Amino acid sequence: MKKLISLTVAVLLVVMGLAVWSAELQKSQGATGDNTLNLYNWGDYIDPALITKFEKETGYHVNYETFDSNEAMYTKIQQGGTSYDLAAPSEYMVEKMHKAHMLLPLDHSKLKYLNTFNPDVMNRSFDPGNKYSLPYFWGTLGIIYNDKFVKPGEIQHWDDLWKPQFKDNIMLVDSARDIMGFSLVSLGKSMNTTDAPTLQAAKAKLDSLAPNVKAVVADEIKMYMAENEAAVAVDWSGEAADMMAENSHLHYIVPSEGSNLWFDNLVIPKTAKHFKAIYAFLNFINEPKNAAQNAEYVGYTTPSAKAQALLPKSVREDKQFYPNEAIIKRSEVYKDLDPSVVGMYNDLFLEFKMHRN
Amino acid sequence: MKKLKLSNLYLWVVFILLYVPIIYLVMYSFSKGDTMTNFQGFTMAHYQELFADTRMIQIVIDTLLLALLSSLIATAIGTLGALAINRTTKPLMKNTVLSLNNILMVSPDVIIGASFLIFFTALKIPLGFGSVLLAHIAFSIPIVVLMVLPKLQEMRQSMLDAARDLGSSNAQILSRVILPFITPGIFSGFFMAFTYSLDDFAVTFFVTGNGFSTLAVEVYARARQGISLEINALSGVMFIFALLLVVGYYFIQEGQAKRKAHSKKGGHALEKTH
Repeated sequence: MKKLISLTVAVLLVVMGLAVWSAELQKSQGATGDNTLNLYNWGDYIDPALITKFEKETGYHVNYETFDSNEAMYTKIQQGGTSYDLAAPSEYMVEKMHKAHMLLPLDHSKLKYLNTFNPDVMNRSFDPGNKYSLPYFWGTLGIIYNDKFVKPGEIQHWDDLWKPQFKDNIMLVDSARDIMGFSLVSLGKSMNTTDAPTLQAAKAKLDSLAPNVKAVVADEIKMYMAENEAAVAVDWSGEAADMMAENSHLHYIVPSEGSNLWFDNLVIPKTAKHFKAIYAFLNFINEPKNAAQNAEYVGYTTPSAKAQALLPKSVREDKQFYPNEAIIKRSEVYKDLDPSVVGMYNDLFLEFKMHRN
Repeated sequence: MKKLKLSNLYLWVVFILLYVPIIYLVMYSFSKGDTMTNFQGFTMAHYQELFADTRMIQIVIDTLLLALLSSLIATAIGTLGALAINRTTKPLMKNTVLSLNNILMVSPDVIIGASFLIFFTALKIPLGFGSVLLAHIAFSIPIVVLMVLPKLQEMRQSMLDAARDLGSSNAQILSRVILPFITPGIFSGFFMAFTYSLDDFAVTFFVTGNGFSTLAVEVYARARQGISLEINALSGVMFIFALLLVVGYYFIQEGQAKRKAHSKKGGHALEKTH
């Protein structure tokens, strides 16, 4: 009996100690009080030094929480019980959240750097007039090749992927709309195609690519490409930048017939509470100096024209990461499609993946 | 002699298979690189990174707190449950309750987690520390029952009769005879529940929310962006911690065994009531 009591007391004491410690930590992180900003962003998608700088400059405390997919973020915000002040959805998700009345409009009069943005990336179809969102980073879908296996110039177009010389040597990113999308573009169709026969045709064309496909993988694609495991990969420009930083043999191209343009945007979800902190942060992160620093850290393309001018010459003149107007014109932004159409994309992509085996 | 050697060899192979991956993982926590592909020189940077990561430390604390609290409560409830099952005289009733208990033990975590999620959202219980704690208590109770029940069945009825003959009240029988006798079972129940709670991923994954996270869930979330070697460093620390616990437990048991042997020599067969 004594033993049982002493165990219970000991455990309770430890529990209490841990609870106090946990509460202290939470306080030291500044989780309580009104001077906070709850930022809900993708993992490792901001320079931590900028968060520290923002906290020092303004006195606000930043809670940085991360998500790993647009859908997860959507559910979390929709479910309620959270109090995120800023979130960073991709373009189609901005449209979807707007339709679901989950966004608060931006007060443009409080935004200092609105006129420093690159006009090419503003006022896009998913948010006309940028009423609800400000672009945070943007980029393209393209082809990464390794110059150890592929001669420069050998890959210029989506159709080049079908060349027999790349047998079992291409990696695809595991994303239904992107993979179906480039197949559609190679057929001269829109990436937002909704009619079934065209989608079937795109899938049939993908099936003929199967002998060349080594794997359909997610984030691991970066590691494989950095280690020369495959000659060619189809992935987003941001991921390509990460790979190229690891392996100097890698190059990124955007096929000239067009591609997908993606945007990650900052929005104010309806759960927001700390509006002063929100506008302080939006003005801080879009200050050209800070935006440039962030772009250098993350390696994605900054939407701020002034920040772009501050980047090293080799970066800002890189046609693949800062594409010219012609490519932007030919490229498409994903629309928020009807769930039944999204289902069709997913089913066909799944069939393609099973066909491979 | 030959047979003995062969079995030794087998033991070594099994140990190597079990421990090499852990050692490999911990070894890379000292690598200068950022991936586990090749070792690039010694550094403690990942440990510094780990101890500077307040979110990670917070999660480790919360995980331990949750495991201790849930296993303590589960032990209390589970012990009472085992006592009740042991008292039941109708075999049908007893078997039914025991089977229901065992079903909870063998049903997959994913199903338990999903049903808890449905249950909590239907009752509008906010997801977070509270919901995870309730779920952990619930799945730990069957384990405790299973650990305590054999000890109760081992107990001889004559001992209780003797106590009653000597004029003990029911409360005294419980606190002075039954509980001391089943203490080892309660202890192992507590530690089993503790490790189950510490380990659990699937159930926690379903019922957590609002910023609360346990170690298993957090490591999973981070792994999706490629595991940072900080996780390796954490694994190293946890491994050493577990090792210390096991060694400590061994010495406590050793000390008890010595005391027991000593008091038995003195002829006190019923020393357990102290």
